[in-house]
Amino acid sequence: MSDPRDIVKHSGWIAADVPTEPVTLPAVLVEPPCGVKELMTENLVVNMGPQHPSTHGVLRLLLELDGEQIVRGEAVVGYLHRGIEKLAEHRRYNAVGTLMDRGDYVSGIMNELAFALAAEKVGEIEVPRRASWLRVMMSEINRLASHLVWYGTMGLDAGAMGQFLYAVRDRENLLDILEDVSGQRMMFNYVRPGGVVNDITTTAEAKLRTFLKTIDGYMEEHSALLGGNEIFQGRMRGVGIVTKEMAVAFGITGANLRASGLSFDVRRDRPYAAYDEMHFDIPVASEGDCYARYLVRMEEMRQSIRIIRQCLDGMPEGDHMGKIAKVFRPPAGEAYAAVESPRGELGVYLVSDGTDSPYRMRYRPPALYALQLGEAMLPGLLIADAVVSLGSLDFVLGEIDR
Amino acid sequence: MQPDPTLIAKTLAEAGVEASFEEVRALGYVVRIAPESVRAAIGALKDCSRSFDFLVDLFGIDTGEAIDVVYHVRSFGDDAELHVKAEHAYDSVLTSVWDILPAALMAERECAEMFGLKLAGHPNPKHLLLTEGSQPLLRKSIEIRTAEEVRNR
Amino acid sequence: MSPVLVAILRVLAAVGLMLMNGVVLIYMLRKVLGHLHVRLGPTELGPAGMFQTTADVLKLLTKEDILPTRVDKVLFFLAPGMVFVPSLMAYAAIPFSPTWIAANLNLGLLFTIGILSLVPLGIVAAGWSSHNKWSLLGGMRAVAQQITYEVPLLLAALPPVMLAGSLNLADIVRAQGTVWYWLPCFPAFLFFLVSGLIEANQTPFDMSEADSELVAGFATEYSSMKFGLLFLAEFSNTFLFASLMVTLFLGGWHLPFVPDSIVPAIGLPVIFMVKVYLVIFCLMWIRGTLPRVRIDQLLQLGWKILLPASLAWIMVTAAGVKLFPMIFGGVR
Repeated sequence: MSDPRDIVKHSGWIAADVPTEPVTLPAVLVEPPCGVKELMTENLVVNMGPQHPSTHGVLRLLLELDGEQIVRGEAVVGYLHRGIEKLAEHRRYNAVGTLMDRGDYVSGIMNELAFALAAEKVGEIEVPRRASWLRVMMSEINRLASHLVWYGTMGLDAGAMGQFLYAVRDRENLLDILEDVSGQRMMFNYVRPGGVVNDITTTAEAKLRTFLKTIDGYMEEHSALLGGNEIFQGRMRGVGIVTKEMAVAFGITGANLRASGLSFDVRRDRPYAAYDEMHFDIPVASEGDCYARYLVRMEEMRQSIRIIRQCLDGMPEGDHMGKIAKVFRPPAGEAYAAVESPRGELGVYLVSDGTDSPYRMRYRPPALYALQLGEAMLPGLLIADAVVSLGSLDFVLGEIDR
Repeated sequence: MQPDPTLIAKTLAEAGVEASFEEVRALGYVVRIAPESVRAAIGALKDCSRSFDFLVDLFGIDTGEAIDVVYHVRSFGDDAELHVKAEHAYDSVLTSVWDILPAALMAERECAEMFGLKLAGHPNPKHLLLTEGSQPLLRKSIEIRTAEEVRNR
Repeated sequence: MSPVLVAILRVLAAVGLMLMNGVVLIYMLRKVLGHLHVRLGPTELGPAGMFQTTADVLKLLTKEDILPTRVDKVLFFLAPGMVFVPSLMAYAAIPFSPTWIAANLNLGLLFTIGILSLVPLGIVAAGWSSHNKWSLLGGMRAVAQQITYEVPLLLAALPPVMLAGSLNLADIVRAQGTVWYWLPCFPAFLFFLVSGLIEANQTPFDMSEADSELVAGFATEYSSMKFGLLFLAEFSNTFLFASLMVTLFLGGWHLPFVPDSIVPAIGLPVIFMVKVYLVIFCLMWIRGTLPRVRIDQLLQLGWKILLPASLAWIMVTAAGVKLFPMIFGGVR
């Protein structure tokens, strides 16, 4: 292992909560016995968040700093807890999608898809082929939009403001398309057990074709603006290294896992919807640093564009909604279904008792596991490094807190 | 996808864990063990030849009589997945497996607070999502307001 | 006119210039950054949003001045002044034209750089007195940055001084009648640009108020016009740095290939201002494009690269000035 620090028993957690006593400021001159004046320093405990510009939501980090270096750190979450898992037990299967959207609010389609797949598995429903293709297409549009948000905030974390606005410009087009199809920009409720709500509209298709004409050039521009910048590379290379062992031990999935050298992608290894009919590559990097994660995500965006093109050209004819009872009552049973969300493996473990609402719905948040790793990574980093390292892990607090 | 049941039975038997197997429709293999042998079982599965060293998820299910804690583990070497279930009585102790699978750190905290279990052997046994002192939200006995109640409030 | 009156008028002129500059530069920053970032910047108030800054100044003036309970009150009130006043004083020696100089000092360059080095003192006072850990970190960064970059900045300004043979800023400009010094002193020009960006706290090096790391750094707890003063001083520093750059390397009030005698006297300050604004535009361009370096990378750049490199270039220049008077004879 390149990093000799103990990955599991990292130097511990800060006890309980923020100290109520005022923290003494550092640098106190004391006189040691030998008579030589020596500068004694004390560690400084700071509260990063929940309202900090670069914690990507309401994450609170308790950091103990020695100068600019982090000695210990603890992540405090739960500020966005809405009890999605509990609420799902009181809703019909069709209505759980609205809750799932509010989990990882940056990639709603994939959350809904995970739930729909689990419900279909436990209810043994066939989905029309066109619906599967539409699910893949919308998933990839949403993945591209979500990665663009990550790209922009990565730029913001590294101090470059422009990239965010360039990314948002492209994302706006994608959200327009999703809005055209589903009626909503972020809280879609588009994928339901049995299929999808709407077929793709002609206007959305036209918008998508115009978008695809420009996006390749824009992707080059994005790579050149951020990844090609020497300052950015200096900030990202060799920072926040996650080894393969660490990634497996902490349950990391998705692009973060692939950047550490383990090629596992739910789309390829546990194919769902119509992914077994698509051609795409899975980028893998072995360095495991922030720059590797950046490169993997950028390449994933290109692969998403490739899949969207395939969907657009090869969309099969047929119905977009399968035959499913209006009040869906799957037989009693249990099922686990996972999708590759932009943040990793998003799984839904569903327990049905034969009624019209789930008995238990477990939402596996990939970002929670990424945050665990982020917390363990903190000791020894500078504040600026911590900001980019956590940013490169790409978590959404809505998903962590559910 | 599906693990080799004989290998798992052998591994668990060698570790001295009593386990029963069932194949659940739409889910796959489920190994049911006693809560006392969770650490032994997870450790043995991690150390076996087809190392189940990746914790996909850890969560609880309130069955109405007890709390099933589910350890969903995956082996990248074998490309197999396994659900290990341990039935914990209400208000009993959930033994931490964080030193075997560090991924369990936060998931265990969440499971304990949501189902009112006590965490043992965890380095940071605070609540994760809920404020300290709140009710175990995901237990079936905890009621939430229904839509009618909210309307008539 | 009595000399006192003249002095007062000159100070008032400097204050007026500084305030006007602040207003214009904030508008310019918004527009330039806006267009760099595929958006428009302010558009609503006045033609092309021109009065937006004026409205913002009025807003800052009328806003409630929030005083956090545990601040060090004396320092907290003094700090904006400690940042603002040196920044204002530094206008004294800037030569807008041969005659338009508030105070024609023989040690003009030394005075300007010396007075500007007082600014971080105000910043660290602001950071320390705010009773906010993020402000404190911002203040500490300002000090580290200041110690690191004061030296290379002055060293990078020395080659033009050696060529011109004077520390008087107006004399340095006069010496650039034929060749502007960015050409013979190109490395020094680059060193000065980098150190100046750091001194002016511009984006690749805006350590002390890095918003994604330190929230707003030393200015976190400030509100109302106290914040306004800190903000204004920042723009004023940018202007001062750009005008030093124009004075030392870009020929001051001279036009390229055109002798000064054809330009009317009133045109010379205009040329100077246009040059300064072009430099500021480039600084904004840099600001809108580049990410921020890390604090340790910044300090390493200062101590390990800029300092030895600028010393080496001084040696080269010194040797050149002494050994090849034929080549530099025309310049002198």
